[in-house]
Amino acid sequence: MAEPSYPAGPHDYSSGKAELEQLEAAMDETPRGAIVVSLIAVGLLMIGWLGLYFLVFIPRGSVG
Amino acid sequence: MAARPRRRDAAALETGRLVMAHIWVAIAVFALACLLGVWQMWARSPLNAPYHTAANYFRSVTLHGVSMGYVLTTFFIMGFGYYVAETSLRRPLPSLALAWGSFWLGIVGTLMAALSVVSGNASVLFTFYPPLTATPWFYIGLVLVVVASWIWCLIMIFAMRTWKAENPGEPVPLAMFATVANAVMWLWTTVGVAAELLFQVIPAAFGWTQTVDVGLSRTLFSWTLHAIVYFWLFPSYIAFYTMFPRAAGGRLYSDTMGRLAFVLFIIYSLPVGLHHLFMDPEHSNGFKFLQMFLTALVSVPTFLTIFTITASAEVAGRMRGGKGLFGWIGALPWERPMVLATGLAFFMLFWGGGGGLINMSYGMNAMIHNTSWVTAHFHLIFGGTVVIMYQAICYSIWPSITRRDFASLKPLRLQLWLWFIGMMVMTLPWHWLGLQGQWRRVAAFDYSNPLIHSWGPWVIVSLVGGIILALSALLFIYNLAMLHRRGVAGAPASIEYAQAVHPPERVPSSLNGFGLWNIIVAVLMLLAYGWPIAQFFVSPPPQAVVHRLG
Amino acid sequence: MALSEEAVLKSELRWAAIVAVIVGIILIAILYAAIAMHVNPPSNAEYIDPKTLHLSAEFTESNLGTRVDPDGQVVARVIATQFEFVPNCFVLPADRDVTIRLTSPDVIHGILVTGTNVNTMIMPGWVSQVHTVFHKTGDLLMPCHEFCGLGHSQMMATVRVVPPQDFHPGPDGRVSCDNRG
Repeated sequence: MAEPSYPAGPHDYSSGKAELEQLEAAMDETPRGAIVVSLIAVGLLMIGWLGLYFLVFIPRGSVG
Repeated sequence: MAARPRRRDAAALETGRLVMAHIWVAIAVFALACLLGVWQMWARSPLNAPYHTAANYFRSVTLHGVSMGYVLTTFFIMGFGYYVAETSLRRPLPSLALAWGSFWLGIVGTLMAALSVVSGNASVLFTFYPPLTATPWFYIGLVLVVVASWIWCLIMIFAMRTWKAENPGEPVPLAMFATVANAVMWLWTTVGVAAELLFQVIPAAFGWTQTVDVGLSRTLFSWTLHAIVYFWLFPSYIAFYTMFPRAAGGRLYSDTMGRLAFVLFIIYSLPVGLHHLFMDPEHSNGFKFLQMFLTALVSVPTFLTIFTITASAEVAGRMRGGKGLFGWIGALPWERPMVLATGLAFFMLFWGGGGGLINMSYGMNAMIHNTSWVTAHFHLIFGGTVVIMYQAICYSIWPSITRRDFASLKPLRLQLWLWFIGMMVMTLPWHWLGLQGQWRRVAAFDYSNPLIHSWGPWVIVSLVGGIILALSALLFIYNLAMLHRRGVAGAPASIEYAQAVHPPERVPSSLNGFGLWNIIVAVLMLLAYGWPIAQFFVSPPPQAVVHRLG
Repeated sequence: MALSEEAVLKSELRWAAIVAVIVGIILIAILYAAIAMHVNPPSNAEYIDPKTLHLSAEFTESNLGTRVDPDGQVVARVIATQFEFVPNCFVLPADRDVTIRLTSPDVIHGILVTGTNVNTMIMPGWVSQVHTVFHKTGDLLMPCHEFCGLGHSQMMATVRVVPPQDFHPGPDGRVSCDNRG
């Protein structure tokens, strides 16, 4: 497994060990939250698409 | 682990003035186009607008579309590309002189096109609409802008190649890899419109031909028409992957997925243009269905991006102490413009991308083709998601160019919120009106018709959204301009790009270069566009008569 | 979830599988609409010379508008030109298969019929054709929706959908808005 490298710059990266420990702790839970949020987003998208499909598109009749 | 190259910290950016020149031109044109857009919406509404004639309206729409679609975008992308090339590769540009040459070529082309439109002899809108034919100087102006962008592409490709030679085996920094991916994709993209202009439209404009095969011209233009929106979108996705995670105080969830997303865009953004021609008679259901299937594939890199960037946000939020399934969301530093813009961009991506899924759905396209739904879609996805990230990118890089930090981030956040609110207020009614049948490119509606009359209030709501956008655009200019005079001195000469959770030591050559992807593009284009174009030569349809304007 | 690169890529793959399912659902729904419900884009490949429309047998002025053809099919023939439809009103019966055929002698136009899936481009050199069934009666708006020049905004026709019992073609099979029967 590759060693994560230390960030170079200033700003809010505390360099070195502290950041790595925070990162490891964060990675214990990730990406559970992301999966849920993404699922909700695409779920709503699907509902919208199917809604337009069944409520607007199909009732407007056959064309070809 | 390889030693990190020494940072070019003390010296100012070599490309500083080049970047500023490109982006200020883009912003100036953008602001003018915003004001024209407001006037256009006023003209279409039940309210009385000044100077309201059809001639002025279509002059304005042409200027608005060409400014936003060809000038704002190309100049911004070029400027940002030069910035990324210098700061991510940490080396000077291969040729500053050539870059400046291409800038001036682009300026000349822009002026030619703009003056042609203002003269009234080029009201052919962004899509050109042959056999309607404008003065040849309009098209030649745009060709010059495209040629300028080709020079930029070559500089980007050469910069990456040189860096790879100097750093054998090293992964190209993601921001530059994506920038060059965009350059490669753009070279492929422009083939369609270049062929249409050089072989069909410009000869007709000069009077050397009297008829034009409009099926062929629409097909060639469609080659460019979809991929161009990905050309526009790349800088925003570059910001998602390489700037947002840093601004949020975390890391990019996966560098590999970033590379994969960008190469998927290269191969799937091109062989899909026929989805703009679903309602055209000149293509069979077979090829329309094939390109619809490929369009479904081009949604994949966006779906992947949504997850990767959300996961990156989760990493940042958890590093800042967010707990539980959603706590990380609140823990993010929303006061930072790049973070705020990314959140707003993703919200608009939901609506704009959703609308796009409807557009691409083959038969469903009949519900909305050439209605205000389409106008809503591209204003939301381009004007919204993409442009708000352009604004955030400017805020992010301006301190390193001017060497001054913003004294306060409040006006920046206000400007981003106004842009978001204005865009939602303007575009949501257009979706509704489009489903009701409100059609496009109308200079004036007959509000005495009962159906059209019922649209009036919504048209005014959209107008209000547009006014909010115009105010936001002015505030954007003010925020950046102030940094040239005021601001806190001492900003560093470069931004810091995001690090991945697992910074790559080595990546496969397919994710570090474009040889394989060029081959795949060629194969896919042959499959998807081969017959659709060849048919016009094998079995030529009757041609349309050229209609010259002015 | 662990820190490793493998775990990261595995989670991305899992998400990609979810995406594949979503895209698959959309594709299946589209295929179903196309095949089972007969909703397809208008892809009629038929050439016609724009310069001699008025001389053609089909699109000569006296043959425009709605007619019940000898084979029993209800066909409306319309020319789109800068900046009007000829005729700018035509009658069609509800609850019955109808065909609309359009072409242009000059530039590209396009039409939609409000509240329906009728939507097609109209290209000089081609005959556009749409088959459909109207269920709602009344006057529907049929604007030109593709920019065709400065007069584009005024270019509009009316589709008058009448109940089947009110659809009375004359002895020549023709029905027009003035004498819808």
